[in-house]
Amino acid sequence: MTLLEVNDLTVRFYTQEGVVTAVDDLSYRIDPGEKFGVVGESGAGKSVTALSLMRLIDNPGRIESGEIMFKGQNLLELSESEIRSIRGNEISMIFQDAQTALNPVYTVGEQISEAIRHHLDYDNEEAKARTIQLLDQVGIPEPETRYSDYPHEFSGGMQQRAVIAMALSCDPDLLLCDEPTTALDVTIETQILDLIESLADETDTAVQLITHDLGVIADVCDRVMVMYAGKPVEKAPVEELYYDPKHPYTVGLMSSIPRVGDRRDRLQTIPGTMPDLVELPPGCSFHPRCPFAEEACTRIEPELVTVDGSATTATADTERAAACLEYTGELEDGLDYEVHVTDGHDPISQSNADHRSEEPDNVH
Amino acid sequence: MRRIYESNALRREDGPFTPGEQEESSRPRRNGDGDASRFSRLLVPDRLAELSISVSVSTDRETYPVGAPIPFTVTMKNAMPFSVSIPTVSPILWNWSVDGVTEASRVRLRDPPDEPDVFGFTRGERKQFQKRWPQAFRVSDREWEYVSPGTYTIGAGLNVADPVGSGLYDETIVEIVDR
Repeated sequence: MTLLEVNDLTVRFYTQEGVVTAVDDLSYRIDPGEKFGVVGESGAGKSVTALSLMRLIDNPGRIESGEIMFKGQNLLELSESEIRSIRGNEISMIFQDAQTALNPVYTVGEQISEAIRHHLDYDNEEAKARTIQLLDQVGIPEPETRYSDYPHEFSGGMQQRAVIAMALSCDPDLLLCDEPTTALDVTIETQILDLIESLADETDTAVQLITHDLGVIADVCDRVMVMYAGKPVEKAPVEELYYDPKHPYTVGLMSSIPRVGDRRDRLQTIPGTMPDLVELPPGCSFHPRCPFAEEACTRIEPELVTVDGSATTATADTERAAACLEYTGELEDGLDYEVHVTDGHDPISQSNADHRSEEPDNVH
Repeated sequence: MRRIYESNALRREDGPFTPGEQEESSRPRRNGDGDASRFSRLLVPDRLAELSISVSVSTDRETYPVGAPIPFTVTMKNAMPFSVSIPTVSPILWNWSVDGVTEASRVRLRDPPDEPDVFGFTRGERKQFQKRWPQAFRVSDREWEYVSPGTYTIGAGLNVADPVGSGLYDETIVEIVDR
């Protein structure tokens, strides 16, 4: 049974500058124990998606349409007290910046045990014991002593671990990780990702991992959704996304991953920046940056459709889909790129189902 | 450790002042200067507030070649030395249009919540918004049509019942010519 199913979610912010459609007609699902990745640049709508699941969108933002089915109930129809009993308990979130997420005037232990007392009805002693166990589980040394420390006495990595402990304190069914390692260095990043992965495996918790780093997605996730300008542009199982990317934006993201031993003078990047969400360009939102854009791309907005040739409109259950006119037969010249897989020193070439050869380590 | 919720300063169940409650009164203000805007609604009659605000639309040129996006600037200014606020019919505070077509879209782009809002201006405040019209009309949910050479009227006004009659609207004419 599906744990979470998001259908046609649209979130808008009514600002002085205009209406920002931060999430536009988004559908996806997450199964119990699954690790689902959401990837995209800043401003793609990844964090707003996660905050919508927790019903934490505040004025001037509004969840305008859609449904968020969690264990069969629509979260958008629950009362404030009902959603509060789910938030932090059945769905919890690891925020991007642990230093901001932690309250500086309460001890770390107290902040974790507050959630345990509130949701699990533990008394003070039981909550403290559980908190110390959690701190130990996430790798905080001397947890009994550290229980009484304030957040400023923790390093950045330890603060992030404390936030993870807080998120895991009530054994959630769904863990939303909003760029949990962005503020950390690469060694701590690996430790934190391993920690999230192992803890999720132990407790069969589903994870929605939000990141702009495709390397992190490859490491952790089973399925991926790529977002651009508030819309999903590609959905795929993680291996298929790497070996056979279907959307030019995904191809651009892949080719901009820096690699050790890369002999190119300059790192390949996607030209330009994400458009202003108040004023999206006509047609495909990605066309001003797309190397394969044609005249049709400036007039027609592509739908998220299956890529098997049938061009069926994607739903929450669709495993493989992309939003490009290529898959609705409206692109004349097609997408002309190659994916090169390099295994050590020996490049391996793979042929795609169509006329192109593809390789996942280097995209041109 | 004594925490704030132990002091009974907060109620821990649903109530009008419970943290996280989505009551309009407890929402942060986003427009104008917050309390001053709300206070000005009590003191400044709506008609005077409307007379205080001027709207102008300008482009940097009068003619543009076919296919070149047309940038335009919408300027709103409060002439009064005190805050004023204009009640709007929805959370959309102002609109722009081309030849009377809102946001150059022949299809309804969105269905804004049916609740009024307030567009606030501090004393003497000038708000300026930069927009671009890509010389296209949206003709369906997925399709746009680029326009042919000719003259087009770009307008902008506050989202009130009668922006033209209230003096909260302005427009400018541009000509699109073949290269």
